[in-house]
Amino acid sequence: MPTVFRLLKQGVLDFSINPWAQFLTLSAVVMVSFLVGLFLMAITTLDHQLSTVSGETSFQVYWRPGQNMDEVRAQWQELRHLPGFLHARTYTPEQAVKEMEGRLGRGMTRNLSFLEDNNPLPATALLTFSPGATDEQDYEAWFNETRKHLWSLAGVEQVSVTPLRDELGQAWNKVNAFVVRPAIIFLALLLGLVVGNTVRLALLGKSNEVEILQMVGAFNWYIRLPLLVCGAIQGLVGSGLALLILRVIHMQIRDVLNFPPLLLQIRFLEPEIALLMLAVSTFMGVLGGWAGMKRS
Amino acid sequence: MIEVRHLSHNFGSHWALKDCSFRLKKGEFLFLSGPSGAGKTTLLRLLFAGMPVQRGEAKVAGFNLNKIRAAEVPLLRRQVSVVFQDFKILPERSVYDNVILPLQVRGLGQLHADRRVRAVVRALGLETRQNLPCGELSGGEQQRVAVARAFVVNPQVLLADEPTGNLDADLSFRLMDLFKQFQVYGTTMIVATHSQELIRRHPEARVIRLEDGMITGANWPGAAIYPASAAAPRAPQPARPSQPIRPSKEDER
Repeated sequence: MPTVFRLLKQGVLDFSINPWAQFLTLSAVVMVSFLVGLFLMAITTLDHQLSTVSGETSFQVYWRPGQNMDEVRAQWQELRHLPGFLHARTYTPEQAVKEMEGRLGRGMTRNLSFLEDNNPLPATALLTFSPGATDEQDYEAWFNETRKHLWSLAGVEQVSVTPLRDELGQAWNKVNAFVVRPAIIFLALLLGLVVGNTVRLALLGKSNEVEILQMVGAFNWYIRLPLLVCGAIQGLVGSGLALLILRVIHMQIRDVLNFPPLLLQIRFLEPEIALLMLAVSTFMGVLGGWAGMKRS
Repeated sequence: MIEVRHLSHNFGSHWALKDCSFRLKKGEFLFLSGPSGAGKTTLLRLLFAGMPVQRGEAKVAGFNLNKIRAAEVPLLRRQVSVVFQDFKILPERSVYDNVILPLQVRGLGQLHADRRVRAVVRALGLETRQNLPCGELSGGEQQRVAVARAFVVNPQVLLADEPTGNLDADLSFRLMDLFKQFQVYGTTMIVATHSQELIRRHPEARVIRLEDGMITGANWPGAAIYPASAAAPRAPQPARPSQPIRPSKEDER
């Protein structure tokens, strides 16, 4: 056991062989892991979104500007009793102006108070339903009746439909299967290749030591273990740093898409996915190291 | 301990070793003499499985080198220590770290290993230098580090390829005296050298003279001096008949 610990320690010390190559490899591992993490975050976010909205239908309703808000508020209350109603996000013209102020880009005025007296924005409501229809006919009947009802409300100027439904989910699954997953596998292999090349360099750097170790009767595992540890550390530290960067970025962009009609909150990786990413990166580091030694 | 029968080795069309046969018992000391390119290094490399045996047979420390598997080579090298002319030490590591290396490879406990290293380092007069990086030592001291690393494991066989090649005469004689000291532990030693003076100073040692890859002289009957045999390769025959070197007293008895 002390031998194994000593070899593990040697693996850490081996980082001093070609320090620049090690640093550049670590950077490459961070970048590759970061890309994988971004893909996984996109998958997590879209999967969550689709699992939430699957089978749901959303209507965006716009009232005429200047409509009596007491009357509109009463209508909002009444809409909550429609069949299949799930939830609603409503905006008065004043709330809409505030929302707009928050979303104007740099270099543009963020003070829209001059609109208060003569607000051109309409009252809006994003209504989400889960109709629970048993077949297409049943769904069509519910859909037409609800849309007709929304159009019939006093002061309503426009009703649009957001078709976040199963078709979108199926399309996403195809994209996931044919593009995203292969891309992640490709990136993981790339990570192994990058680490493998560095281990190969390290092996060349310590060729004298390897020759002496072989001469004094060291088994291959004794010679290789420190280099495998080196690869594992590259994978583990690289993906750990990538996760840290992703977390910081996530905290900044979490709500950038969380506005109507998208209402998409970007989600960070689930803990088990993050752990899996660390484990796979470490494993690929070891695998790359092993392949690098085999080629030498 | 070492048995070589009709051993031949070629590099392409060049025969580096031709039909060599000899036998050494436990604790015997052999000088391999001969000019550069005579086949001394090739023979030593074959004996520690640095290259596969092409023709003939070789047995070292109980291992049949004709049948040895790659996985067994480290086991052979735990019985056979090697000292090279260019030392093959790690210059950035200390004397102590270099000498303890073979014991660490064998997984020996730190306390036990430490005791053995200190004993060998003391015997070779390196105790005041043991914490210095080997790169800061003189050539003679580096050679002693290589010898210490070879002896720290109490090997059954020691192979030394021109170990005095980088040393002056005085240091060379002292190094050979050290080799003789360790012989009392029963280590069988083969020392390749082209120094006749060194051989003359150790008349009790076995001597084989190699020329053009062939044994052209030996001082005891355990080495076959005659050239071609049934197993010999199709190679140029020695140009002149071989002559035995003066036999040792033991052989005369």
